[in-house]
Amino acid sequence: MVSNISKTQILSIYKSLLRESEKFSNYNFRSYAIRRVRDAFKEHKSLTDKNLINKEYQFAKDNIAIIKRQVVIGEMYKTEKLVIENQQ
Amino acid sequence: MAAANIVRSAFNGLLRKSTSYRIPVVCRLSTVATVQKFYAVKAIAKLSYQVQNGVYAQSTRQYSSGAQSKPSPQQIEERVMKVCRTYDKLSGTKLSVDSHFMNDLGLDSLDHVEVIMAMEDEFGFEIPDSDAERLVRPKDIIQYVADKEDIYE
Repeated sequence: MVSNISKTQILSIYKSLLRESEKFSNYNFRSYAIRRVRDAFKEHKSLTDKNLINKEYQFAKDNIAIIKRQVVIGEMYKTEKLVIENQQ
Repeated sequence: MAAANIVRSAFNGLLRKSTSYRIPVVCRLSTVATVQKFYAVKAIAKLSYQVQNGVYAQSTRQYSSGAQSKPSPQQIEERVMKVCRTYDKLSGTKLSVDSHFMNDLGLDSLDHVEVIMAMEDEFGFEIPDSDAERLVRPKDIIQYVADKEDIYE
């Protein structure tokens, strides 16, 4: 049951992943998540095998759930902002 | 200073009138109270306005669409180009309003999504994916934003 995943779907999940990653309150987690999402998509951008694309898409979907949970947990244990964040 | 004057005049009024009339004094006091309240509210409003100005002094973002003036097409173009230039993969390229993100500037579709996200952050509204894929030149984005905000030349 391998279904075709369109380019739009992939771009859309890329955007959602980045948007969710931006919500981390911890600076280090936030930067890591955004960098990790970017790198993972760049790394696999030349995939053509449907099975592999499906696998990666599923991986992205699992991870968006993880990020959502971790953002909520991070919100509960917030610490002060780092000095580098308070540029304003 | 104003508040002190009001208190003093209220006190004078009390001294002057209290011997002869009772009711007008009461009236007077209540008006003084409302005037004072008015000044306090005004002061608070002024204070919060200044604080807001301090915080948002750098950006010209305005999220409420009240009496504020809309940005002109030139301002939109300026902001769009500013966002494009700040995107790290576009900072070194020769960027113009008509350049195509993929064909001329060498971005891939993932980078394009990030540019669109930066535009959403700049203008404060969401751009649906179906619209985003048509916005392949800075010119298109400027036109799209102007349409969204009902700005015509």
